[in-house]
Amino acid sequence: MDLSLTEEQEMLKSAVRRFVDTEYPKETLLELAATGQSAPSEPWSKLAATGWLGIIIPTEYGGEGGSFTDAGVMFEELGRGPVPGPHISSAALGALAILEAGTEEQKRSLLPDIASGRRTVALAITEADYQWDESDVQAIASTDGDGYRISGTKVYVYDAAAATDLICAVRTENRQHVGLALVPADAPGVSVRKLEGFAWNLAEVRLDGAQIGPSGVLSGRAMPGASPFSGGWLALEQAVAAAIPLLCAYQVGGSQQVYEMSVDYSRTRIQFGTPIGRFQRVQDHIINLVNELDSARWTTYEALWKLDSEREAADSIHLAKTVSSAAYYNACNHAHEVHAGVGSTTEYGLTLHTTASRTLYQFLGDPKFHRRRLADALGL
Amino acid sequence: MDFEPRYTAEQEAFRTEVQEWLRDNIPTGIEHPADSSDLTYEQYQLRRDLGRRLGDKGWLWPTAPEGYGGGGLTVDHSVVLEEEIDGYNLSLPPYYDSGGRLGGNSILVWGSEEQKQEFLPKIFKGEIRTWQLLTEPEAGSDLANAKASARRDGDDYVINGQKVYVGSAHGSDYMWTITCTDPEGERHHNLSWFMVPSDLPGISVFPMDLLSSAGESGAGSGVKNIVYFDNVRVPARNLIGGENEGWKVATTHLELEHGTGGKIGRNWIVDRIFDYCVTNNRRGEPLSKDPDVRERLIDIYIDAEIGRLFQLRNYWMRHSGANVTYEGPQASYFRKMSGLRIATGILDILGPAALTKDSQWGAGEGHIEAHQRAAIIALHPGGTTDIQKVIMSRRIGIGRQQRERAGALA
Repeated sequence: MDLSLTEEQEMLKSAVRRFVDTEYPKETLLELAATGQSAPSEPWSKLAATGWLGIIIPTEYGGEGGSFTDAGVMFEELGRGPVPGPHISSAALGALAILEAGTEEQKRSLLPDIASGRRTVALAITEADYQWDESDVQAIASTDGDGYRISGTKVYVYDAAAATDLICAVRTENRQHVGLALVPADAPGVSVRKLEGFAWNLAEVRLDGAQIGPSGVLSGRAMPGASPFSGGWLALEQAVAAAIPLLCAYQVGGSQQVYEMSVDYSRTRIQFGTPIGRFQRVQDHIINLVNELDSARWTTYEALWKLDSEREAADSIHLAKTVSSAAYYNACNHAHEVHAGVGSTTEYGLTLHTTASRTLYQFLGDPKFHRRRLADALGL
Repeated sequence: MDFEPRYTAEQEAFRTEVQEWLRDNIPTGIEHPADSSDLTYEQYQLRRDLGRRLGDKGWLWPTAPEGYGGGGLTVDHSVVLEEEIDGYNLSLPPYYDSGGRLGGNSILVWGSEEQKQEFLPKIFKGEIRTWQLLTEPEAGSDLANAKASARRDGDDYVINGQKVYVGSAHGSDYMWTITCTDPEGERHHNLSWFMVPSDLPGISVFPMDLLSSAGESGAGSGVKNIVYFDNVRVPARNLIGGENEGWKVATTHLELEHGTGGKIGRNWIVDRIFDYCVTNNRRGEPLSKDPDVRERLIDIYIDAEIGRLFQLRNYWMRHSGANVTYEGPQASYFRKMSGLRIATGILDILGPAALTKDSQWGAGEGHIEAHQRAAIIALHPGGTTDIQKVIMSRRIGIGRQQRERAGALA
């Protein structure tokens, strides 16, 4: 048993932290907040240049070949910013989806570009019913020559506006299979409209007969002779399962940051002639916060460890997402109680996390979704 | 990271040795009463016998130093032992010995060499069972307000006063207690600890009538007592850590009591309720298929998993020498609060069947009824939930630049 990070992971952690401090200071984060995304931008190019976007991509495909825990350490540090995407969408979800569902040729052509940041991917899965479930997918891939035309409306698509390519969950014309189509975001017939409000970089993606060739299908382990869309959904579920703990690590990093902000503020903010942290009412908020934080941290890192050691991880993954989503959300709530008025000002920076915590709460399934899956995984 | 103990071939060989030894040495007929107050004297003696046998092997306190009668084993060996004995629904030690655990560690840190030689082998070999005596009617959360007095008289100290919520059924050999040695002295600088032989004249013990002692099965205390000291003469050599130096000793004692020790193990009540819901039908279907029951089971599961991970983290931190700050009281606070939530979940699932130990109409052979009582009473022993939060605040440094340090552990 050893719950410490390796020396290399500690080095990676400090390197990413230094990078975020230097390239994503609060002023930059506030500027980027207007769009909710960092690509394309100068700090994003620098992030891409580090090679970290290829952290879980095998070296043979131009990545760093890191472990899930390595990637978790990196995403945790990005979460402290919170550095806006599309890193989770592209470097975690996109890379894993292509690794699970791509042919050797697709991996060779796509993964090096994802690792280098030249190409950014977002996953367009959910539609009007919003269920993170196969049954939700109504967008259609209709045969067109040796390729396909994709039509449908994807909603609440995270990072879509920052992506060069969209991996879309689509249904075959006969409605029997749900598979994956890789659609360039600038293809004719694709329009991306940002959803304004409290949402953090969510968009509607309209697909109006967007054309893809046969190499635009990520067919997964479709049986020979079967529809190339018949293997996509299963591969996607596996990719999403593996990406969830990385998203959780990002939520852990965000929770860690608002925890440290709150402790600092409790020491420096004077009311009634004393630091507010001397009041037990205020202490309670921070204690609730650190309990949420540590719950998220250890469920997340256990799930990452299970993935790395190739153990059965389904229960841990559903547990981690249930706990981490609630933890980041609640951590921000507690931090607002500590900070009161100051926390509500945009320039202070807490609201960056508050905004992120809401969107990530439901991204890849909210707690009620993962609780149901957890019950199934436990054999109840 | 690695969330599981790794076993070398040598440790696996050790496991085989342990399994064989336990098979040969665990007495037949050990019972696991749902409520530890139902543990009979004969059953207690069976457990003490086992403790002495384990002590002879160095397996009762496996990681305690060999030079003082402990096992001197590594953490990984200790984990093997704990896992194997857990398979018999027993723990180390297999009976209530709070004074041994907390006092033993305190003596290891603060005792003189002579005191270590005198007391530790008895504890670590299972020859004695020790109670801890801290709380008084006027010193609960405010332990530093202890008023039981110890006055120096020649080669002895003379102890007078009253301690409450003490120990267990079936008596003790020693009492590990904190007293006031300077009633006029400055707070935190007027306290002293003693190892007091329980058979000294002037000590009387009266059981209290409580809803629950909050212990779990046979290693729980079962009963709590009031202990009166009436001019009890204790040899001065039994004073541990120096006269009026008792608060520093208390920081070690309390650090462990507040959960920094951590542990590896199952949550027996959670296993029990899951098992019950999967195997018992209501309206023709397993309880676990009822959507409301599933919701509650998942609540319980999440609490139990977080609690397990906090304990695992603390266990690892303690044994790897990591810098411990707020983690002990955090685990303690979480255990108490989640225990109560789990009890609520069980009551929701089972209704009145959770509240009776009736063999026909109660659920879980009395264990669930006992847990319902224990969950609420467990909020205060070893420091109230509020005290745990106070300590966490100081350790985190909420509202203060200087963070309080954790108590020293051996």
